[in-house]
Amino acid sequence: MRTTFTVIVALGAWLVAAPLPAHHAFSSEFDITKPLKLQGTLTKWEMINPHSWFHIDVKNPDGAVVPWLIEGGSPNQLIRLGVTKNTLKVGTEFIIEGYQARDGTNKAVGRNFTLADGRSFLLGGSAPGAAGAEK
Amino acid sequence: MLRRFVAATALGSAIALLLVSTLTAQTTYKVPRLPDGHPDFQGFWNNTTYTPLERPKGIDREFFTKEEVLEQMKRAAAEEGEQTTPGTIADVHYDFTQFGLDRSQAPLAVNLRTSLIVDPPDGHLPPMTEEGKRLNAARAEARKRAGAITDAAQNQPLSVRCILMDRDGPPMLAGAYNNNYQIVQSPGTVMILVEMLHSPRIIPLDARPQLPQQVRQLEGSSRGRWDADTLVIETTNFTDMFMFAAQGASADMKLTERFTRTSDDTLTYRFTVDDPKVWTRPWTGEVPWKKAIGPIFEHACHEGNYSLTNLLRGAREDEKRQKGASK
Repeated sequence: MRTTFTVIVALGAWLVAAPLPAHHAFSSEFDITKPLKLQGTLTKWEMINPHSWFHIDVKNPDGAVVPWLIEGGSPNQLIRLGVTKNTLKVGTEFIIEGYQARDGTNKAVGRNFTLADGRSFLLGGSAPGAAGAEK
Repeated sequence: MLRRFVAATALGSAIALLLVSTLTAQTTYKVPRLPDGHPDFQGFWNNTTYTPLERPKGIDREFFTKEEVLEQMKRAAAEEGEQTTPGTIADVHYDFTQFGLDRSQAPLAVNLRTSLIVDPPDGHLPPMTEEGKRLNAARAEARKRAGAITDAAQNQPLSVRCILMDRDGPPMLAGAYNNNYQIVQSPGTVMILVEMLHSPRIIPLDARPQLPQQVRQLEGSSRGRWDADTLVIETTNFTDMFMFAAQGASADMKLTERFTRTSDDTLTYRFTVDDPKVWTRPWTGEVPWKKAIGPIFEHACHEGNYSLTNLLRGAREDEKRQKGASK
């Protein structure tokens, strides 16, 4: 999850590398003072770079259906891990916690996607450390 | 007595030499070759790393043990998987782990070095010259004069404008994720395709001169040659906006990159920055590139860069709100 981290290892601060540079300053695009939680149904997943966008329909308490756009991670690594735009079916129900766009429109960054039944899911499909590092 | 001692010493030295050369022969990697005899670097590579450019404070040695590094990588992977704290700047972001973007989910070479910088031997950038300090102060001043990064699209970094990323460089250094490269060799040319942002570096190997001095490019002018089994690429003719300006370098930087295949799954990338305008001496970094699985995928950054519009529009809306509040 962390986009910046500081690890103090027993031998000193080896991994205090520069913060991982995000593609852009997310806090300029999204408003830290507007956290939100949405429940909605996937209508389309734009699996495009540099960030993918989830289109979801959110049902308001009054019954009106409101479309939202949720920013997610860049797709290339997912494609490499075998994920395609069909991996998530249209109609999948999500609960998304995130922050609304500063421009006040129905856009948000999805900091945490969970399935409607509460199960979390990893699109990458591997727990941290499961791939990559030499065992 | 003395003669016997000398003879014994000579024999000892010879045996030692023999042992060393035998050991060296055993450990020397036999590089695969192309039909023209040059080493084969073709394929897919990834330069993701946890190792910082400069040696962190409190560490005064060049290498860790393999055990230490594996333990550190495990801890780093666990850290990456941790949730950020709601209401913090770091939390205003999608989850790297969820999208497979953690460094631990990429091909990751085990690098025992404590810093990418190998020279100066202390693992730190050499001191900056007075001229270098002035140049970077002037750049900072120019950025300040241009206004906030949300005042105009042109004020955003090249990466946000989908023009170049740090992975492109040169020197080519890993970003947070998607540090994939493809190398294609043809007679007289080598091509390095950088997945993010899908830019090919096409480097002639035919000893032609660099572009004329006045022709300046974001990625400079690159010319390659073979030094035994090492591919050497020299690059000059940068513009003042090039990627490495972020490190303080000047457009007159001369960059020498050296690629050596050191094992089936490792390409050792060394780069030397010679920029006397900015640094008091040249400095060198080394990064292992790890064999990766292809293919390279398209990274159509402009196509999906809604974020740039959102950033600018968000700032305009903020301004309207502030104006409304001050009335």
